[in-house]
Amino acid sequence: MSAAALPAAETSPANASRGILLMLLLPGLIALVITFLLPLIWLLRASFASSTMGALSGGDWTVQSYSTVLFDPFYWRVAWNTLVLGFNVAIFAVILSYPIALFLARTESRFRGVLTALAVAPLLTSSVVRTYGWMVILGDRGVINSTLQSLSLTGGVIRLTNNSLGATVALIEILMPYAILAMLSGFGRLNTQLEEAAAMLGANRLRVFTRIILPLSAPGVLTAALLVFVLAISSFVTPRLMGGGRVFVLGTEVFNEATVTLNWPLAAALSVMLLILFSSIILLYQRALRALET
Amino acid sequence: MADHHVVIDNLVKTYPGAQKPSVDHVSFSLPRGEMLALLGPSGCGKTTILRMIAGLIAPTSGAIRLEGKDVSSIAVYKRNMGMVFQAYALFPHMTVAQNISFGLEMRKVGRAEREERVRKALDLVKLTGLGDRKVSQLSGGQQQRAAIARSLVIEPELLLLDEPLSNLDAKLRDEMRDEIRDIQARTGVTAIFVTHDQDEALSMADRLAVMSAGRLEQVGTPREIFDRPQTEFVASFIGAGTFFEGQVAEPGLAVVEGLKSLRFVGEAPVGSTVKLMIRPHRLVLADSAGQPNSFTGTVEHIVYRGQILTLNIRCGGRLLQADLPTHAGVLPEKGDEVTLAVAAQDVTLVGQVAP
Ligand SMILES: Nc1ncnc2c1ncn2[C@@H]1O[C@H](COP(=O)(O)OP(=O)(O)OP(=O)(O)O)[C@@H](O)[C@H]1O
Ligand SMILES: [Mg+2]
Repeated sequence: MSAAALPAAETSPANASRGILLMLLLPGLIALVITFLLPLIWLLRASFASSTMGALSGGDWTVQSYSTVLFDPFYWRVAWNTLVLGFNVAIFAVILSYPIALFLARTESRFRGVLTALAVAPLLTSSVVRTYGWMVILGDRGVINSTLQSLSLTGGVIRLTNNSLGATVALIEILMPYAILAMLSGFGRLNTQLEEAAAMLGANRLRVFTRIILPLSAPGVLTAALLVFVLAISSFVTPRLMGGGRVFVLGTEVFNEATVTLNWPLAAALSVMLLILFSSIILLYQRALRALET
Repeated sequence: MADHHVVIDNLVKTYPGAQKPSVDHVSFSLPRGEMLALLGPSGCGKTTILRMIAGLIAPTSGAIRLEGKDVSSIAVYKRNMGMVFQAYALFPHMTVAQNISFGLEMRKVGRAEREERVRKALDLVKLTGLGDRKVSQLSGGQQQRAAIARSLVIEPELLLLDEPLSNLDAKLRDEMRDEIRDIQARTGVTAIFVTHDQDEALSMADRLAVMSAGRLEQVGTPREIFDRPQTEFVASFIGAGTFFEGQVAEPGLAVVEGLKSLRFVGEAPVGSTVKLMIRPHRLVLADSAGQPNSFTGTVEHIVYRGQILTLNIRCGGRLLQADLPTHAGVLPEKGDEVTLAVAAQDVTLVGQVAP
């Protein structure tokens, strides 16, 4: 691209290096086409197919699945649930991760590396395992409920699982390491010297935080929020297990349509909806980031 | 001294875990409106002193007094000192005007007055009209000016500058040197600036405090420091010179091995061993070898530097450096035998070697 922008570079060495560049990119491109582009095209095609139980009928095109999705209030509710779950998880995961990330970014302790590793260590276990962990804690006979009951603090069981509260809580914890990592990488403009400069100009700790640290860490926070939001609205395992079949989000519905109802075109159409949701969120994010950084 | 505007009294800083103090019983003081340069090689503790004065780090012991009042217990943000950081530390998310206005906002100055003072500060540092720029849209020199404006607009008790010129290229450095000096003189602010560049210190400061390894070596005017260095470190750190070691034979006269005796100025007991230093430009061509304080030797190396000629003269087994003005008549050539002389007051006593 840059070679094309410079007429003088249109000489044979530049062309040769472009050839080499293409060759180097080729394996990755092929892999991307096979693993990403082709399935995506196939998904789009499938969403326009007419539904036949458990299979895709041949050549016909129909917008039947889309009209189902768009005119059935159930799917609107599913989309709404998904957005609410995504927002709640993103907001709380970011709020809880922010102090941790800020500490890790600013500390001069020699244990900083160890602490960072500890903060993201939960990523080493599968989210299924961690979801089961949350079921043990939040379940009807789980740690919280049995403690409350044996202390006679509550009469009955407080419902913490099999609803969206359980799914939200578990997702927040599961996605926090991602939020911390995203923030750490986005805190590049934070710098103790700027804080010192602000203090020298008369800003107390609170003012340093609100006027310097907060605005400079905003891009990192935004990136973390986006990442957690996207991971939350596309999550399947945690809402499925923590929701006990009573939480309907796009992830669980795609799974249901594809494996239970065996309506593949509908599952594909729902996936496309999810993709559109992602794309619009990412566009919004890029706008916001540009506004923050200029 | 006690009634000086700023008094630094026996300041010590030992960083946690360090065996030796980084700043070791340093005392100096500044009258109002003075510009003092803290000069010394890298790692000698200059920044540490500045940060203690600013309140960014706490001294291990000692006191910092402003107008006779100890400021040790006053928090950084209440000290009312301006600081220009080496990397400027301008806030990247604010415009130049917002940067300068920040300190005024913290002081709850009204909007109209703030705008007026920001405008004046921009004029002072010759950034008129650039207030709406983003910091990243300024050149290095302009950022430097913005940083100075930001620290001056709050009318600080004391202005601190940590190597303010080290990030600029040579030409801009010379320009900013005069500029900073000028701004300081016009505002009349008391200022301490840190540098490891002797030219910068000599040309900008009213007085210099020369440090080495955490200790203060000498405080004095540029002239005193250059012409009357009190320690060997100061003599060798600032300017060039040839050093001699000699035995004091009678007051003001030392016998130097391989040479004749040298007359010098300074008090040293008879019989003690002294260190003496002669600046290259204090040596002059002499007619006869019979003169007191004269050296005869062969020219070993010559560098022509426009206005001066630098000679290395082999004399009694040692190398003597001399700078001669190029208009000094017939100039010696390489291999010539020359005789140089120096006045007694230009032979500086820089230290005594314990007997
Ligand atoms: N935060 C710190 N912790 C431990 N030791 C430190 C710390 N900061 C500085 N030192 C040590 O204190 C000594 C003085 O450091 P300082 O930064 O004051 O030097 P300086 O004179 O400003 O040097 P330079 O010209 O390189 O900036 C050095 O030996 C340094 O290693
Ligand atoms: Mg320093």
